[in-house]
Amino acid sequence: MLVQRIAGGDAEALGELYDRYGRVAFGMLYRMLPGPEAAEEVAQDAFHAVWRRAGSYRPERGAVRTWLLAICRNGAIDWRRTRGKREEREVTIEAAAELLSDAKVDERVVDALRAERVRKAVAELPAEQRDVLSLAFWGGYSQSEIAARTNTPLGTVKSRVRLGMTKLRERLVDER
Amino acid sequence: MSMAEERHPTEDLPAYALGALDEAERLALAAHLETCDQCAHDLAQFEDALYEAAAVGAVRADPPRDLRARIVLGHRGARVARASNWGARVREWLARPLPLAVPLALAVLLVVSFVAVGTARREADTYARALAGVADGRVVALAPQKNAPADARGALVIPRNGDPYVVLELSSPPTGKTWEAWVIKGQRPLAAGLSSSGGVFTIVLSAPLESGDVVAVTLEPAVGSSAPTSDPILAGGT
Repeated sequence: MLVQRIAGGDAEALGELYDRYGRVAFGMLYRMLPGPEAAEEVAQDAFHAVWRRAGSYRPERGAVRTWLLAICRNGAIDWRRTRGKREEREVTIEAAAELLSDAKVDERVVDALRAERVRKAVAELPAEQRDVLSLAFWGGYSQSEIAARTNTPLGTVKSRVRLGMTKLRERLVDER
Repeated sequence: MSMAEERHPTEDLPAYALGALDEAERLALAAHLETCDQCAHDLAQFEDALYEAAAVGAVRADPPRDLRARIVLGHRGARVARASNWGARVREWLARPLPLAVPLALAVLLVVSFVAVGTARREADTYARALAGVADGRVVALAPQKNAPADARGALVIPRNGDPYVVLELSSPPTGKTWEAWVIKGQRPLAAGLSSSGGVFTIVLSAPLESGDVVAVTLEPAVGSSAPTSDPILAGGT
């Protein structure tokens, strides 16, 4: 298995992981960060982190792509908080809320048919659920922060997160 | 099965997958996930769905042509070459009788005295309590090294059951840096966990620990390193 080879010190296996997921990781980071230089820096750090943490990867707890993209996303949020200029530290509510629904699919990294199903699943979410998921995922906001910034009761935000994520899971995981 | 064991925080799993819980909630759920396969399975499904949507949401952008080469070349042979010198140096230092024997003995004495008589200092209390709380296992002092801050202390705890961990008393690392623990096998250091905490804190060792291994702590860039980039602050043999 690829990650096991990386854990064993096989640098070529790290290259194979990059070949599979490097483009989507970079595309996700590009969207989360202010420019290509920051995306490149965080992507490189993320693959170094994969090299270092490969021994602790547990396949029963998630797909490799999910594991890698989560490392990238956490790295992007850290970058914004620690290295971004003041105006780059936070994504505006408007920008974060638009990101998921405006996405253009890169057919080179996501199967076009599958992508259409994902897009449909996301589009079918009620707008208020889609917005909180987008704010949390792309903006890096906690439920409390979303409640405060959008003047919405915390209980309502939590409920929207739960319902939205549950629908996404039902539509994307059950059909496999 | 008790009531506590039956309770699963399923309502918070979606927010955990999104990274949208507050810190206290996140830590509590993370602890539960360590021991609950059912919740871990549910979480994996939420995360897979979420990151699949994120992959579709990613922009079309070509990474720099040389990024792959920089990532791969940065590690090809690096682990062995860089690590072996560093590991050998740490073992050399540990073999020196005077500079290390004294701090080691002092560290052990300090631990014993803290447990026996206590102290008024809050940090010292926390440190001593952490070690006094080891009910069934072995405690090995980590000796402060040449570049260690004056008040740096640490101990390796090897419980009879459970993962080994280090209890550290260190100031917060500088911005952009983190404390990283290492398990050194022969001359090869394995990354064993990060912490950007200050004060008294623990790092559970993620690398396997066996008799004869050395444990060390260094200051590294915030994302951690695959091989140590600085001299150890604390070190001790098992």
